[in-house]
Parts: sequence; C-alpha cells; structure tokens
Amino acid sequence: MRIDDLPGELLMWVLIGSEVAVFAAGITVMEAVRLTDPAGFATAQGMLDGRMATLNTALLVTSGLFAARAERDGGRAGLLLAALGGVAFLAVKIAEYTADAARGVTMEAHPFFTFYYLLTGFHAAHVIAGVVVLVLVAIRPRRDTAQAAAMFWHMVDLVWVLLLAPVYLLG
Amino acid sequence: MDPLTRNWLWLLALIGATVALAGWPAALLAVAFLKAVAILNGFLHLTRASGWLTAFAVPLGLWLAAIWALHAVG
Repeated sequence: MRIDDLPGELLMWVLIGSEVAVFAAGITVMEAVRLTDPAGFATAQGMLDGRMATLNTALLVTSGLFAARAERDGGRAGLLLAALGGVAFLAVKIAEYTADAARGVTMEAHPFFTFYYLLTGFHAAHVIAGVVVLVLVAIRPRRDTAQAAAMFWHMVDLVWVLLLAPVYLLG
Repeated sequence: MDPLTRNWLWLLALIGATVALAGWPAALLAVAFLKAVAILNGFLHLTRASGWLTAFAVPLGLWLAAIWALHAVG
C-alpha cells in the first residue's frame, strides 16, 4: 500500500478523509446527545420527510454516475449533467426545508433539529461548492481537472449516504 | 455492462433496500456501509489502489458500528 497508488491527486484524498471525519464527528456528537433524550430525538426525527431524503440520494448517485463518466471521458456534457443533478438536489432540499418550517421544524424546536440543520445545511453548502466547481471545470474541461471535480463530487455523495440513516431513518 | 453503470444500479438497489429496511437500525447502517464502499470502489476507484479500500472501509465500518452501539444504548 503506497501513497502513489491512490488514483488522482493526493490533496483530494486528504480533503475526502477530512470531510468524512468532520461529518462523522458531527453525527457521533448527535448520537451522544441523543442519549440524554432518546424519546424526544425519535419524535423529532419522525417529523422529517425521509422520502425527500431518499429521492435526494437517488439524485446524488445518478449525478455521481455522470461525474464518473466525465472523469473517464473528460467530457463537458457529463460535468454539466452532474452539476444539474446537484441543482436538482438543492431544489428538493429547499422544498424540504420549506415544508419543515411549515411544520414547526426549526433549529430551536429541539436539539435534534439543531443537528439536522447544521449537518444537512453544511452538506448543502458542499453541494453548492461542488456545482460551482463542476460548472467552472466544464468551461474548459481537461482530464486532470475533470478528475479533481469528480472526486470532490463523489465525496459529497459519500458524506450524504453516511448522513442519511443517522439523521433521517434510525428513529 | 459498463462498470460505472453497474455500480450506479447497485447503488439504486441499495437505496431501495434502505426504504425496505426502515425501522431496522443495524440493517440501515449496514446498507449505508455498502453504499459508501460502492462509492469508494466504483466511483473513486479505490480497488485500483492496493490496500486503500480496506484502509478507508475498516474505519468507516467501525465508526458505523459505534453509531449503532450509541443508538442501541439509547
């Protein structure tokens, strides 16, 4: 096992490892705080719409497929389709937050919702950054820049699949 | 079939499994682990880097086990 064996830029792997560690720490703290009020956390989590989160998972992995193809082929279309998937993810997220707010799901309503908004909001910020990177790289695509953008996008995807169950589904 | 398409279909199947396994925390976290490995393996190509998939997957698996333990205690 050698550092040189890693595909792509080493810096991207440092970023991927760091981001996963940051989100893992946040989820771990959320689960630890949950021990103080398991019933309250379960009730609060039950107010979220897991269907929208599941739809967003499908959107992100489909977008990841386009990013992976762009990485392989160096194509502009794949990068733009991946970015479009990110925009669709954000549109669903905005609809979800709007519906949450209408149900009284606010940051102050329960400690669980503070974690919910912090973790999913921080992830959404990464989606926005990823969309910007994908579009910028698509202007003048090269194999190395397409690979770096795709790796960032797969990191966004990876973090989301790790967030999904603890934030939306465990109960 | 293109390996990227196969990986995408596998991920969609795992999303379907997530929906079916609602209410089963250990199973949901196991499926989350499989999805993470599919992304690391199929999209980030870690299988091309000898030993690195294990280096990422083992800590992830241990962390998800810890999350399950915290959840089960509560």
